[in-house]
Amino acid sequence: MINEIRNKVKELLETKRVECVIGYERATDNLTARPVFIYEPSQVDRLIFDETCVHNLSKYLLNRKDKPTGIVTKPCDSRGINLLLNESQLHRENLFIIGVVCSGVKKVRFNRIEDSLPTKCQYCPQHTPPLYDFLIGEPVTETSPRNYADVIKIEEMTSKERKMFWSGHFDRCIRCYGCRQACVGCYCYECFVDELDPLWVGIRIAPDENWVWNIGRAFHLSARCIACNECERVCPVNIPLMLINRKLEKDTLRLFEFEPGVNAEVIPPFATFKKEENLGVSE
Amino acid sequence: MKVITKGNLLSWLRQLSQKYTVIAPVTSAEVTLYEPVSNSEIEKINLNFPNTDLSPKNWFFPPSETLFTIVKNEIPKIIPASAGHEAVLFGLHPCDAKGIALIDKAFLAEPADVFYKEKRDKTTLVGLACSTPCLECFCTSVNGGPADPTHLDILLTETTEERYIMYIVTERGGQLLTDAPMQEAEVTSPVPPILNIVPTEGITEIMPRVFNDSYWDRVADRCIHCNICAYVCPCCYCFDIRDYVSKEKIERVRSWESCQSPGFSRIAGGYDPRSTKGTRLRQRWYHKLLYFPERFGDVKCTGCGRCVRSCPVNIDIREIITDVQRMRA
Repeated sequence: MINEIRNKVKELLETKRVECVIGYERATDNLTARPVFIYEPSQVDRLIFDETCVHNLSKYLLNRKDKPTGIVTKPCDSRGINLLLNESQLHRENLFIIGVVCSGVKKVRFNRIEDSLPTKCQYCPQHTPPLYDFLIGEPVTETSPRNYADVIKIEEMTSKERKMFWSGHFDRCIRCYGCRQACVGCYCYECFVDELDPLWVGIRIAPDENWVWNIGRAFHLSARCIACNECERVCPVNIPLMLINRKLEKDTLRLFEFEPGVNAEVIPPFATFKKEENLGVSE
Repeated sequence: MKVITKGNLLSWLRQLSQKYTVIAPVTSAEVTLYEPVSNSEIEKINLNFPNTDLSPKNWFFPPSETLFTIVKNEIPKIIPASAGHEAVLFGLHPCDAKGIALIDKAFLAEPADVFYKEKRDKTTLVGLACSTPCLECFCTSVNGGPADPTHLDILLTETTEERYIMYIVTERGGQLLTDAPMQEAEVTSPVPPILNIVPTEGITEIMPRVFNDSYWDRVADRCIHCNICAYVCPCCYCFDIRDYVSKEKIERVRSWESCQSPGFSRIAGGYDPRSTKGTRLRQRWYHKLLYFPERFGDVKCTGCGRCVRSCPVNIDIREIITDVQRMRA
């Protein structure tokens, strides 16, 4: 498999179809993976692909909007590209997408591979990328069954319990914005928390402001989060952000029968309005 | 040699917590942080952590603090920030004590930062020698060591059979021990662990020569410009100050900021001299490996390994230093 990827990348660079390919290489722990930008055909042997390739590389495409770029993507990551195409952030003709059929990645930390699968893989809706120019692996049609048991557990709490639960987590937040920076859907030119003159949210790293940040972030991703798990993975204080994202995903499915990033041609619910949509709001 | 059993250590801390605010490592939700621990919570203290997820700098340089408040009356009244308590910071590893010593250089240089100084003056540092360093640590390459008592008031070293050697470093540390249930015993100190070697030798001389190298842009390709590295770092100390204005009062608030933020270096008129990813990433390494050592004599890194562990995309200071050394030629 890795030779197929390396050969394709070599060809793309040699024929100047792209200037650069974004993929994975071994990290400095000699165990896990990290993103790599390959500019020279002679460098393709650095590329790897295995169950430690957790990063969603599609965010990097925003830095290379006008440059022909290749990218190695898992199915969830290629949903990120669809999201960006859907929102007119990328030019499709500048992209060459090497999609990899994926049976799931491992939960990893630096110097450590854990035995369990991340949430996103436990409930993965598709193992074949919805978008690719060149596919590595045999397409798989089966999907894992949907299961929102973790979300339902939170929904069943009283509002007071829920507030306690999230306060316990948000109080730890240090507003490092790792979640935002890793997120393919977070690309505002000026994020609402960076509006300092006048202060929109306030710069305090404290419970009230942390709530506004975490909830504001989530709202801006409703019907947009492609469930790549990056926000939760990068969080230095272990806030279970995917629980919020999965709640949004569940509601979006129920209300709009829509899944972000699966198809770039389907108009997202927030980009349109249909008269028959009646979201419990009175006439 | 003064020795204390684990049980007695906890009773001593319980005793201290009646007089002082005790801040110690506590683990919850798989995260280990320094937290104030009350008298009844002493058992919660984690004595066997590899390293805490956030550093103890939070105690002296909190994520946010109010510098002063102005209450809107007929005659506006300025209320200074509260004075803080006498505190004991317990359980910090020598690398983290070094981190505090490094921030001291910047914040206690005249004119000293009064908010930092006040907390610093009121806090006694009780350290714990590091017996099982993390795979990412390299303190011995940056003038530190797993059992280095230099920047502490007391250093505890765990021996086998759940006993700790108490090494009193300063007079201030000694005062804390007047009622401590210790014994005199002859115990052999455990051999300190051996750490990774990172080639820091002479790094400050090479840094000026590679400032314009495209290397920084290549590393920046991968950087996602979050603030994780700076916020988990025991010696990064940048901040922003803003006023919270309401009808009743104005509060001047200081919060952590970092050179990696897109708006950090933006100046009046909107110009940003470090507007690209490469220049922002480079700034962090130049502050650590050139500007700070030029000014204060020490590399601004304690080798604690937190940034290495926490970086989402494996930007590894050990690799950066090694790569820069290779550019020496």
